[in-house]
Amino acid sequence: MKRKGLKSLLMIFVLTTLAIALTGCSGDKEAENSSQITIGIPQDVEESLDPHKMVAAGTKEVLFNLFEGLVKPDSDGSLIPAVASAYEESEGGKVYTFTLREGVKFHDGSLVTAEDVKFSIDKCADTSNGGPLVEAFSNIESVTIKDASTVVITLKEADTEFLAYMTTAIIPASNTAADTNPIGTGPYKFVSRSPQENFIMEKFDEYWGEGANIEHVTFKICANADSIVMDLEGGSIDMFPRVTATQAAELSDNFEVLEGTMNLVQALYLNNAVAPFDDVRVRQALCYAISPQEIMTIISDGKGTELGSSMFPAFGKYFMKELNDTYNQDTEKAKALLAEAGYPDGFSFTITVPSNYQPHIDTAQVLVEQFKAIGVTAEIQLIEWDSWLSDVYQNREFQSTVVGVDASNLTGAALLQRFVSDSSKNFINFNNADYDTALANAIASTDDAEKTKYYKECQTILSTDAANVYIQDLPEFVAINKKYTGYEFYPIYVQDIAKLKLADEQ
Amino acid sequence: MKYAGKKVITMIITLFAVTLFVFLAFHFISGDPATSMLGTEATPERVEALREEMGLNDPVLLQYGRWALNFLKGDMGISYSYRMSVSEMVADKIPVTVTLTILAFLMMVVIAIPLGIYTAKHVGGVIDRIIYMINQVIMAFPPFFAGILITLVFGRILKLFTPGGYVSYQKDFFGFVGYLIFPAFAIALPKAAMAVKLLRSSVISESKLDYVRTAYSRGNSTKAVLYKHVLKNALIPVITFLGMALADMIAGSIIIEQVFSIPGLGRILLTSISNRDYPVVMAVIVCISLLVLVVNMVVDIIYGLVDPRISIE
Repeated sequence: MKRKGLKSLLMIFVLTTLAIALTGCSGDKEAENSSQITIGIPQDVEESLDPHKMVAAGTKEVLFNLFEGLVKPDSDGSLIPAVASAYEESEGGKVYTFTLREGVKFHDGSLVTAEDVKFSIDKCADTSNGGPLVEAFSNIESVTIKDASTVVITLKEADTEFLAYMTTAIIPASNTAADTNPIGTGPYKFVSRSPQENFIMEKFDEYWGEGANIEHVTFKICANADSIVMDLEGGSIDMFPRVTATQAAELSDNFEVLEGTMNLVQALYLNNAVAPFDDVRVRQALCYAISPQEIMTIISDGKGTELGSSMFPAFGKYFMKELNDTYNQDTEKAKALLAEAGYPDGFSFTITVPSNYQPHIDTAQVLVEQFKAIGVTAEIQLIEWDSWLSDVYQNREFQSTVVGVDASNLTGAALLQRFVSDSSKNFINFNNADYDTALANAIASTDDAEKTKYYKECQTILSTDAANVYIQDLPEFVAINKKYTGYEFYPIYVQDIAKLKLADEQ
Repeated sequence: MKYAGKKVITMIITLFAVTLFVFLAFHFISGDPATSMLGTEATPERVEALREEMGLNDPVLLQYGRWALNFLKGDMGISYSYRMSVSEMVADKIPVTVTLTILAFLMMVVIAIPLGIYTAKHVGGVIDRIIYMINQVIMAFPPFFAGILITLVFGRILKLFTPGGYVSYQKDFFGFVGYLIFPAFAIALPKAAMAVKLLRSSVISESKLDYVRTAYSRGNSTKAVLYKHVLKNALIPVITFLGMALADMIAGSIIIEQVFSIPGLGRILLTSISNRDYPVVMAVIVCISLLVLVVNMVVDIIYGLVDPRISIE
């Protein structure tokens, strides 16, 4: 009797559990037919949603879909008119005149006015908070509204690359809650955000241009890297930008894996101000010690693009492939340089690596092995991203670090300006007078060929001076369910969701 | 009444101590919220301006006092990272963690009490020995490992749930509860094993006491002796354990939330710590400590109800 009671109690428990679990499973598939997509992202959009204040690459790549500047980048790297329908550059790159596109609407339904444009640019040029939000805007002399649809920007110094900064988002002056309620002019509008859970946006029907194809887009936070394949196969996400080579190999036929590059400069960044890396011979020795090819073979099946300086191929005319050969692996040469520098028996140092990014950790591990061959002992120290930001990036208290440095826009300066000796972003303390001159010349020059020449000179100096041990531009694998097509890679760190469409709509 | 008043005062002091401790702890770890917010855009000037704006340049105790005062006024502040109201953020996540804990607790009770009584009644039997052995193994499982095993067995092999397929309770409540069943199971399992063992030995030792013999001699059946006399006394230590287990489960759910990617209080807590998002960390800590303190108080009260000999005065 009692035994029976116990049994039925257990039975009821098991059955309810199963019933609820099964209903839970079927819930995932409800929206299969409506036009929607769930995209997994590894990090949350955990900062201000004000496009001028956001700093994390992970936020920018998502918010790219909500905002547009006067011009916007295209997938081939060129700038196309957006909020402005036309622009004119005059006085050798000193005056820029923008004609606003007619009928462009913000997500709240109001029309974009010349005042909104001036407000947005002035806001980014404002220096009252310790510096302008967009560094290049310190060069702006004035922003004037010529008439209701013409805005003129006058610079202090001519800058022929200035247009690249005009991708700065145009936002309505009337929005007082920009931190949490983003309003822009992009093909998607903001719906909601739930911390550590998701970021939801939907198609903006009154978009001025061609607009988006998929109605509802959910970015789901997939913090657990080990379960990404399961998430994709199980259907809880349809797409994941940046799966690893191993994960890509595990995916079934339902998924397509597209290969691109991450567009960043991965290197062993060396603190040029501390011993032993204040000696150029030691830095060169490390460059001779490593083989980027071997690193790529080990960490990503040989995928990736070798780099020899702070520039990656997406920049086209500025990229110098020949710098890959400045240092080819040569342990004898490396040892000789070390002996010359006073370290015949090698030395030991620490590689600080942010713990949230596996490819950098893997790379550091291969580097440690490669340095052993020249008698140098490297020790890996993993630290949290926030500690990295404050200790390494801000306070520059480190010996070396493996990270990837990306470009916020497509000007040569975006990657190269940080190595000017007095730049606040020069976290490696690189100091070379020739470099400073070459970069200043590059920015000042209004002739394209001359500009390219100076930028190339900068890269050559970084390479011959062995500012850092340059490694590669990491491969990027985008896993996407075959239900969707149209994914396009960009030379900057963004995910353009508007280009995606359902496969059967073609 | 006097007792309740005393309890509340102790609670407030405990909360105060916990928050002060957490607040101070942040000043000893590296990393700074202003740097964190500005990321790679950080320049010394901008960091300084932001620190000033956020009041981070004031003395620590002044900052704590300001926080405590606002908190008492019901204002938990604005999240440094999300720039949204902390109370809104936390209120959104509390149901997740609370549901998970309640589910786990119910499972523990439903598994442990019948099994404990059953094994006590059949001491030395084959089933008792098997359960005893399984118990020993399960007790040794930390919840996160149980979580990984459950994901593997029920999620990947048996496909009873989609790992990572969490659905928000606002969108689909049954789907939400359905997803939490297995995580709750992972939390409940080790605790249930302990409860079974405790109840079993408690019933066995009670059965040997004199009053049990007296009860039998008065002509009671085995069933009546067990349920009317023995169980009442045997449950007292178990209730204490259940109370402690419930408090522990709230903390345990923080870890399980990571394993099953559940965006609850635990996830928010961990990311806020690494973002140096103090207002959120403080709010979550207050919520969790409050839950634990309330549970403890409730256990104390139940204790007195079950055994009138224990006076709460």
